[in-house]
Amino acid sequence: MKLKVLRFLFYFLFYLALAYYSYLMLLITLQYIPLRFDVAFLHIKTDEIQHTYYQVAFFTHVYTSMFVLISGALQFIPGLRKQFPKFHRSVGYVYILVLLLFSGPSGIIMGIKANGGIYSQISFTLLGILWMIFTAKALIAIKNGNWELHQKFMLRSYALTLSAISLRLIKQFLANTYSLPPMDMYKIVAWAGWVLNLVIVEIYIFYHFRLKKS
Amino acid sequence: MKKKSLVIASLLLLSCEGAIKNSDAEVKEPQGAEVEDSTMASQESMENQETETKVELPTEKVDILGYWVGYFEPDKKKIKDFNEMWVDEGFNWNRNNKINISIDRVVGEQVYGHSVVAGNDRPFEGSIKRIAQGNDTLYQIKAKEPGDDQYDGAFEFSIENGQLKGTWTANRNLKIKYRIYELEKKTYQYNPDIMLTHAGPYVNWTKRIDKVETYGEGDEVEEWIYSSYGSATDKIYKVNASNTLLKKGDVENMKKGDLTIIRNTIYARHGYSFKFQPLRVFFDQQDWYIPVHTDIKSEFTDIEKENIKLLMKYEKNAAEYYDSFGRG
Repeated sequence: MKLKVLRFLFYFLFYLALAYYSYLMLLITLQYIPLRFDVAFLHIKTDEIQHTYYQVAFFTHVYTSMFVLISGALQFIPGLRKQFPKFHRSVGYVYILVLLLFSGPSGIIMGIKANGGIYSQISFTLLGILWMIFTAKALIAIKNGNWELHQKFMLRSYALTLSAISLRLIKQFLANTYSLPPMDMYKIVAWAGWVLNLVIVEIYIFYHFRLKKS
Repeated sequence: MKKKSLVIASLLLLSCEGAIKNSDAEVKEPQGAEVEDSTMASQESMENQETETKVELPTEKVDILGYWVGYFEPDKKKIKDFNEMWVDEGFNWNRNNKINISIDRVVGEQVYGHSVVAGNDRPFEGSIKRIAQGNDTLYQIKAKEPGDDQYDGAFEFSIENGQLKGTWTANRNLKIKYRIYELEKKTYQYNPDIMLTHAGPYVNWTKRIDKVETYGEGDEVEEWIYSSYGSATDKIYKVNASNTLLKKGDVENMKKGDLTIIRNTIYARHGYSFKFQPLRVFFDQQDWYIPVHTDIKSEFTDIEKENIKLLMKYEKNAAEYYDSFGRG
């Protein structure tokens, strides 16, 4: 009983925070509507944004990633999966297709050209590759009817999706406490933003599925 | 109806931008130091050249002609409620400003000149007396500013043995009505290679950063508020934006204070007189710095114009996004 209450509380707070930060991500996305080359992040990307391939990658990433974030959030609501499997499936296709066809590849291209030199370039590129691999593995698993494996890889995939938020939160925290120079901070955040999420989700997977078995 | 709610929704979203960036952050070029469109600037400088070929006004060749530079200090003996400005432990401003009294022409008993201080360039004219003292001459000058500016007043000074000493009284009841000064003769020449020296810190007291830390446990919790102010690091002594074309890599790891100082050092090299107090106090401490102009628009070199544009872009980005959730 106590466990149920705690679990409910956890879900409730998690979704509340997720809703708020998704809203902030929406505000960030809206900065780029209408399409402009001289706002926000693009101010410090002036060399890259001259090239068509970067323009396509950047705006594809900015305009599609929001759908990944939101469609992914819907998939973890416990009741929804069981009561409306059709809904779960179609939203799942949106998540997988948008990620594998648009957000993922464009993210990798941006990663290769990331600010902060080789450290952050390796980090963001690796993030993009893992993001796509986990998602593809989750798709293959469910096609093979392996629910558990599907669930594990989807948890990993969404942990990386959430790096969009955790990266910014860590940046905001570091800037307000240690006030590091911006690019030093960026190099730290480039790694911390997703590695931490992955560590947390691996711990969760380890305990969650072990508890289930025993 | 649908349209209406759409408009309301979009307004709601726009007004919340503060959650992802500091929307009130503003990075401006100071008045008189704006980088102009190159085509417009060249046109204007051509026009300037035309007007600048005006007839030279007559003057006697006296060795007191030129710039006299030093601190324009409040006369604490005459000002009743004078208070220094204390920003934080260890930093205060005694309300001194560097002044440049330029004696431009001397004709018989008449003297003409102008003074540049705190972003204000004002002409003066008055009388000059010469008193022979052995081999030297003592000059006594009484001069008035036109009086159509709220900060105008009257100068009274003497020049002897290479030193200019005197008083100034404002026409109106300013907060600091009386000033005194002891100035030295200096020559000004633009030098792009000149660097800042470790003369004093940059403290931008208009930008206060408060940090709250709590100590203790249970009921006995103490709260300490640390105040710090916008500031700069040692990078400002190493980077020269007047003789080197800066690249993205040179500026992207700099915090706002450094970017601001490096940009404003360009203006200081051109003898720009700063209105903004924290910058003025900082540059006044530099030995080589002389306030000469309030308008330096047409003075920038191409390297400087490019660097100003780059620095402003990163300053704006730092101001808006450095410590907020969104990122630029």
